[in-house]
Amino acid sequence: MGKKKRGHPDVEEILARPWCYYCERDFEDLKLLISHQKAKHFKCDRCGRRLNTAGGLSVHMNQVHKESLSHVENALPNRQGLDVEIFGMEGIPEDVVQQHNQRIIQNFYQAQADRYAATGNPPPGQGGKNPPKKLKIENPDDIKKRLAEHRARIAAQKAAGGAPTHTPPVGAPENQSPAQSASPEFPVPPSWRSIPRFSSSRRSRVLSSPQYPQGGFNYPPSNLPSRPGSNLPAPSGLPARPGQPGFPGYSPNASTVDELVASASSGQQGGDHIDQMIRDLERGEVPAKKGDSATPADEPAPEKKIKKEKDKNVRMVYDDELSPEERMALMPRYAFVPQAV
Amino acid sequence: MAPTTQFELAQPPNDAISSLAFAPDAPSRLLVSSWDKNVYLYDTHTASENGDDAAEGGGVSHGTLLKKYEHPAPVMDVCFGADDNEAYTAGMDWEVKRIDLESGEQTTLSKHTAPVRRVVYSKAHSLLISASWDSTLHIHNPTNPSLTPLTVPLPGKPHAMAASPSKVIVAMTSRLVHIYDLATLAGALESQSGSAPPPWQQRESSLKFLTRAVAAMPSDGGYATSSIEGRVAVEWFDASAESQARKYAFKCHRQTDNTAAAGVTDVVYPVNALAFHPVHGNTFASAGGDATVALWDAEAKRRMKVYQKFADSVAAVAFSADGRFLAVAVCPGFETGMEDYNAEGRTKIVIRELGENEAKGKGAK
Repeated sequence: MGKKKRGHPDVEEILARPWCYYCERDFEDLKLLISHQKAKHFKCDRCGRRLNTAGGLSVHMNQVHKESLSHVENALPNRQGLDVEIFGMEGIPEDVVQQHNQRIIQNFYQAQADRYAATGNPPPGQGGKNPPKKLKIENPDDIKKRLAEHRARIAAQKAAGGAPTHTPPVGAPENQSPAQSASPEFPVPPSWRSIPRFSSSRRSRVLSSPQYPQGGFNYPPSNLPSRPGSNLPAPSGLPARPGQPGFPGYSPNASTVDELVASASSGQQGGDHIDQMIRDLERGEVPAKKGDSATPADEPAPEKKIKKEKDKNVRMVYDDELSPEERMALMPRYAFVPQAV
Repeated sequence: MAPTTQFELAQPPNDAISSLAFAPDAPSRLLVSSWDKNVYLYDTHTASENGDDAAEGGGVSHGTLLKKYEHPAPVMDVCFGADDNEAYTAGMDWEVKRIDLESGEQTTLSKHTAPVRRVVYSKAHSLLISASWDSTLHIHNPTNPSLTPLTVPLPGKPHAMAASPSKVIVAMTSRLVHIYDLATLAGALESQSGSAPPPWQQRESSLKFLTRAVAAMPSDGGYATSSIEGRVAVEWFDASAESQARKYAFKCHRQTDNTAAAGVTDVVYPVNALAFHPVHGNTFASAGGDATVALWDAEAKRRMKVYQKFADSVAAVAFSADGRFLAVAVCPGFETGMEDYNAEGRTKIVIRELGENEAKGKGAK
């Protein structure tokens, strides 16, 4: 995990930025924020003097100009009041802070999910590195062994009338030899596919979690307390990446592979209701995920994308080739009927 | 509530305001043309005699309605003539009229074949130019009524017009902009040949949407245009490449709406009016459908100020000749999809006294 400095700051960095209570703008440092407040919100209309606080400005207006200050200038409609004493980050009501952080976090993950959706990159730490490594070190003996097992299983399945549709992804790790490239799933790094398979228990947790649709929030460590949807299962599931322990290159792993295959196949044939649901789900989503980063977390991305397009919504109050005056002139109340020339 | 530097005029028009004009000399003489078929003449300084309206809204109302000039149809534009006592109006009744503000006497200068949208007076050339939806300009010389007005055909309906000391800018439909040289127009009128001179320059608007307003720099350097799509462009007359490279456009008078069902929506308002400051010639005001007026520094490309929202869309703005006052016409804006329109009771004129450096460019700060 190297530093990923790509101009996308961490959510902590964003949250740490000082921001203005009156207009919700955020700044590089506190000094800038204070000078912003003095210039935008606490500046005297009459003489241009910059005061430190709204209260100060009010007193100034009273004493120097004999006027009363009714609201803070350039403030958001619900933040114009003089009742809160704000200086820099001081004095912001707790609930407003909460709201602000909430908003920042939401925007952050939204932007992150949008980026992943737009670039097609997998989120950091999610299978980006591991699969290729595994591919390199896999040794032919293992592959052959697993292939044999896989074939046997397929035969067994066919005999048992099991659905063949989802065997390719399951068997994918075995399909390493190019000869098998006829498999439609081949282009997808096989071990990605296999991940959910091995750990169907983890998977089921994620899937059944009510937060699943917000999967975009799964990637980063959820050390953010106020995030409502930060679902704990996902991060805790990460370290237990199934690919590693069962990795053939590290130890003579035939037994592990056996286990994996066994668990997978038993999962397929087993009558467990939840497993059944998961399999149904997967059957539906596996083809859809092709080419995309095949992590469950990316699933809601298309939805997010649509949302983003909506973000760019523009509503023109007046949009016409005729001018407003011409429109008005057509109305009976303004119409002028010329007399015969 | 409102600071004393800003007040509402008593006895505002009964319907939407189409235009505001300050007198060339007296800084407190204000003409207002309205869709209620009247032109109003105010003295913005004297205290109101019948302060009945003053109680309304709790604010202190000032100013006096001096006179009202009735027209047969809504008045689309008004401007002062050679002095504080002469005014010209553009009417929905196709006519361009001269009003003697003292006597109230109205004389028709010329008649178009469609409503007249704008009138502009050039003191330097003693020319009155009217622009009508019949796609013509009429050029008059009010000092010599014997001359038949010159008709200049336009390629589109004019929507906005402004005169700089030597030029007149006409913005039309299809983003067409023609710039005429006033001296050439005066010459053509004088010759009475009836043939219209070609425009000094023909341009395409820098803005992609219907032009809403034009204002000319008092320095004669260039002009600003605005469109119905919350945008303002600043351009220079000089056709040289380096001058043209200086032109720019920017977004303004927009609001983000987080409450919309469709998600975050950028609400874009038309920029209804522009006015350059007569003293600080780089400063101009823009008035938007978002009920705000903003001051801009055309040279520094900076926004100098945004005034607190008004109650309704801002239809027109004008600076007084000495640049000390800003008149703001507030009335509901006409929006797409409106079946009916009524500005009754919601029309206001706000006069703002500008602070010492309020409209002065950055340099001083």
